[in-house]
Amino acid sequence: MACLELLRVQAYFDDELDAGAALDIERHMDSCEDCTALLQDLKTSRGALRQQGLYRRASPQLKSKITASLDREQDASQWLTRWIPRQRQFWFGAGTGAATAAAFATALAFFAISPGVSTPLVSDLMNAHLRSLLENHLIDVASSDQHTVKPWFAGHADVSPPAVDFPKEDYRLVGGRLDYVDGKRMPVVVYRHGAHLINVFAWARRGDPIPPATTRNGYHFVFWQNGDLILCAVSDTAVEELNGLVRLLQE
Amino acid sequence: MDDKRQRFEAQALPHLDSAYNLARWLARSRVDVDDIVQDAMLRAYRGFDSVRGHDVKPWLLAIVRNCFLTAVAQSGRRTHMPLPGDDPENGDAAIADDAPDPEVSAIQADHGRKLSRVISTLPQEFREVLVLREMEDLSYGDIAQVTRVPIGTVMSRLARARSMLRDKWMDDVEGARHGMP
Repeated sequence: MACLELLRVQAYFDDELDAGAALDIERHMDSCEDCTALLQDLKTSRGALRQQGLYRRASPQLKSKITASLDREQDASQWLTRWIPRQRQFWFGAGTGAATAAAFATALAFFAISPGVSTPLVSDLMNAHLRSLLENHLIDVASSDQHTVKPWFAGHADVSPPAVDFPKEDYRLVGGRLDYVDGKRMPVVVYRHGAHLINVFAWARRGDPIPPATTRNGYHFVFWQNGDLILCAVSDTAVEELNGLVRLLQE
Repeated sequence: MDDKRQRFEAQALPHLDSAYNLARWLARSRVDVDDIVQDAMLRAYRGFDSVRGHDVKPWLLAIVRNCFLTAVAQSGRRTHMPLPGDDPENGDAAIADDAPDPEVSAIQADHGRKLSRVISTLPQEFREVLVLREMEDLSYGDIAQVTRVPIGTVMSRLARARSMLRDKWMDDVEGARHGMP
């Protein structure tokens, strides 16, 4: 079969033609045996595919598993939004005695809140960072080899962030994953620095300003530009340590 | 239940069977399909704010397809996915696994089993357009969105998939005839 209209016959069968084009094809089929035969074949195979009980449905067990995981997800995000304002109150109520100060020293490091910035973007980044710590979904591709991680992104994400291992400086490349942040599918490069994990998020810059560095709940967020990408490193490591990785990535 | 969850239950969860059907035909065996679909639904929920005003079904199926590709990439060394057609016993077992499904009697019909095997032998890029068009009733534009290729490519893949299905089906019927005493 070599009629040039075969693709249009298929489009006619799939209801993708407008009325005028459909009429053209119907006229054409009056005089073309190949196309008439094709239309018959298409009807036969669709009939078979739709009638042979080939459609697979999710089991009730899977449905309840999904409902449960959505419940957990919803609880986790409510937990976050409940806790952020509460920590502010905790702050103002904190005593000033030496003993109290010592007792709160660790809490202080963990709960420090910088004034100002609290954008939905930062909330989203923080959620993604916390999820990566809470769940077993830290990495989709595990490798300390930049030649593995970067091409993996090329096949899975719209942008491909730098993924370089820095063994000498103790910023070890762990791998990469895809996340959903700020309504975007976002590549994330994961580093380990001492006992801390650092998530580096990347997205295309579309004329928007680069957000200022900020700290929420002891997690630091450092933003910078690299070509036409905006990157954000998130971690609970010390700010200087986080800036160390940012400097290396900027070089 | 918050607003996002309610919208998700109303707009995305009704497509769960479609998500499962696509994942199942992509993965071909029952292995990991539940995990892929669960992962996809969770990711969809997290990114759900981004679909306002868009058609949810192709958006969701694109996530399912990505999760499948990620799972394949992660399994790395396991490049050979067993086909139901590779081993007649396994092939039948994989299908008979669907026991609670009321359609099981239909699936077990010889005809359906053969057709299922034929679809399973198609390469992924042809198998997926066939499933999305014939089983999920997606338009060319929606299929293009799910598979991330231009509409022209959808049309040519679909034509090729249908002709492969036809040829393999004929081979199968002919083969069976020759095998008969």
